[in-house]
This record gives sequence, structure tokens and C-alpha cells, in this order.
Amino acid sequence: MSAGHSHGAPDTALDRQLQVFARDVGELYRRQKERSEELESALATIKTAYLETIRSLAFVVEAKDAGTGQHLERCRVYGVALMEALGVADQHPDAEYGFLLHDAGKVGVPERILSKPGPLTAMEWRIMRMHPVIGYQMLQHIPFMATAAEIVRCHHEMFDGTGYPEGLAGDKIPLAARAFSLVDAFDAMTSDRPYRGAMSLDQAGAELVKMAGTQFDPEVVAVFVPMIDTLSVPGR
Amino acid sequence: MTGSTRRRTVLVVDDDASIRAVVRAVLEADDLVVTEAVDGTEALAAIAAAAPAVVLLDVMMPGMDGLDVCRAIDTATIPVVMLTARDDPATERACLDAGARLLLGKPFSAIELLDVVEGFVGVDVP
Repeated sequence: MSAGHSHGAPDTALDRQLQVFARDVGELYRRQKERSEELESALATIKTAYLETIRSLAFVVEAKDAGTGQHLERCRVYGVALMEALGVADQHPDAEYGFLLHDAGKVGVPERILSKPGPLTAMEWRIMRMHPVIGYQMLQHIPFMATAAEIVRCHHEMFDGTGYPEGLAGDKIPLAARAFSLVDAFDAMTSDRPYRGAMSLDQAGAELVKMAGTQFDPEVVAVFVPMIDTLSVPGR
Repeated sequence: MTGSTRRRTVLVVDDDASIRAVVRAVLEADDLVVTEAVDGTEALAAIAAAAPAVVLLDVMMPGMDGLDVCRAIDTATIPVVMLTARDDPATERACLDAGARLLLGKPFSAIELLDVVEGFVGVDVP
């Protein structure tokens, strides 16, 4: 336009252009908001689908490992509550997948060893003790599953270094795995087994305290034991 | 570099520096590369030197007007979008006859401008 060689007073063409741009800004803001709401809802859907996929994978493993009932789901709920109490839940959103999948590596252990009624031979134990590493290998390259993979790899490690597969001790065991081994044991103690009845919650708590420093991280025990009465128990 | 840069280069031809400045600001916010010409002669020289992906061309300019410039451009390979404050049917007819793909009325919406330009830069010219 030849109207305003605009070095002086504001010209009306420019004013009108500015008003249109101002409306554009509002419109873009609205679109952006709408878009992020759409994305948020899509993300929530994907997260649900992701969790459900992991859950069904975990249930395949559980089905193979008969008699554990709602064990996985309880471990997940206890584990998430414990991670929150430890103040690290936000840093490890994939921990719950690790809780569900801790035994996924058992798909690599022959059925006859998993379901053998009597004691295992030394060779059978060696194979059985490979399941954390097999599970870790299954998960290690999946994006956003780093903590889950660590839980799977280290869920049989013990705080004093006498666990397997690596014999890690103390802080060398990732915190989420230290938390998991505790809730896993707690759920085993408070569930009925063919050869014994379930312990009471208080008894189980006392057992955990007894094993603080050997099997379990004392700091994790100290956070978990006071929470025991407040746990919501799925499937009971 | 040249291939993709050229595909996102937009030549803005307007004698009004403030229009060139706002068009540049809008397009650069979308990572388009903007070159400017103040009149038809400069525009044709710029196109001869390096063909842009799209030309935004003011209709009313002193000297060679937008319609003449448009006729001188190979609009089959370089899409031309005319900018004008006079967006009556006769002007639109004249622009399309001169080879322009479409007409944007001034003042123009930044969103519409980006939609139009993105529509053309997204198309691969053989």
C-alpha cells in the first residue's frame, strides 16, 4: 500500500492490522488450549492402555505361577503407596509396572522347575535365579521403563548383599527395588499359603522390623511399618 | 541446506515497510524464511536470482503494479498470493486472471496468512 510510508504518526491501515492480529492471538490461545486438553486426554488414554497392557502381560506370568491370587495387584498398590510415602513416586512413574512385572522373567524358566513340588537341585536353582535378569532383558530397551527394569533386575537383592543375581548391598540396590522387596515379602506373609495361614498385619510388621538391615533397608522399613494399618487392600 | 531453505522461502513484495515487517514477523515465527522487495523491479530481480516457494504480492504499488509483476512471474511453478485492501470481485478477478492463486484482503489474519503460506510451501514443486 502506498498510503503510509510509516515513519511518522500511526496509520489507520496498521491500526486495523493490529486489531486483526490481536484477535488472532485470542484465537490461537483458544486453539492451543483446546489442543492441549485433547492431548492431555489422549495421554491419559494411552497411559491407561499402557498400564492395562503391562498388567495383562504380568497376569500371563502370574497364571503360570499358580496360587498367588491377587498378589500382583496388592504388590502394586502397596508399592505405589510406599513410593509416595518415600517421596519418590513422581520421579519413578513406571515403578508400578516393575511391581507388576517383577517375575516376568519366569517365562524363561522351564515349567518343570517352576512347579516342582520338592526342593530344587543346585542346577535348578541356578536356572531359577536367572529370572530377574531374564525379566530385565525383556524390559531394558522399552522407553520410560528404566525404573521398572531395575525393579525386575533387583527384586531378589537383599540389603546386606546376600541376595541375587548380583549380590548388591545397601544403596547399590535401587530404592524402588528395595521398596518392592519389602512389600513383596509383606504380602507373602499376610497371605494364606497351602502350608500355613496368613500372619496378622502386626505380626508381619514385627517381622519386617526384625529383618531391617539384613533383608530390608531399615529406612524403608521405618517408613512402611507405620503405614500398614492405612493400606487399602485390593481383592480382600 | 538450499533445497529445504528454498522450499520455505517466502518473498514479500510491498512498498509499505510496516506491512513487510509484520508479514516477516508472522512468517518467521513459523520458521519460514522471508525475503523482501519494495517494488516490482526488485521482486523480479529477486525471483530471477533465487526462486522462492511463494510470493506475497501487494496489488497497488507505485511503478509496476502487482498485476504486472504477477504476469511476469512463472506462476505455474511459483505460487503467487496477492495482498490488497481492495478485495472486491473485480480486483479478485483481475488477480486470478494475472495468474495469482488467491487473494488475501488487508488487514489479513495472521492465522489465515500462515494457513495459506503453509499450504503452498507444503506442496513440492517439481
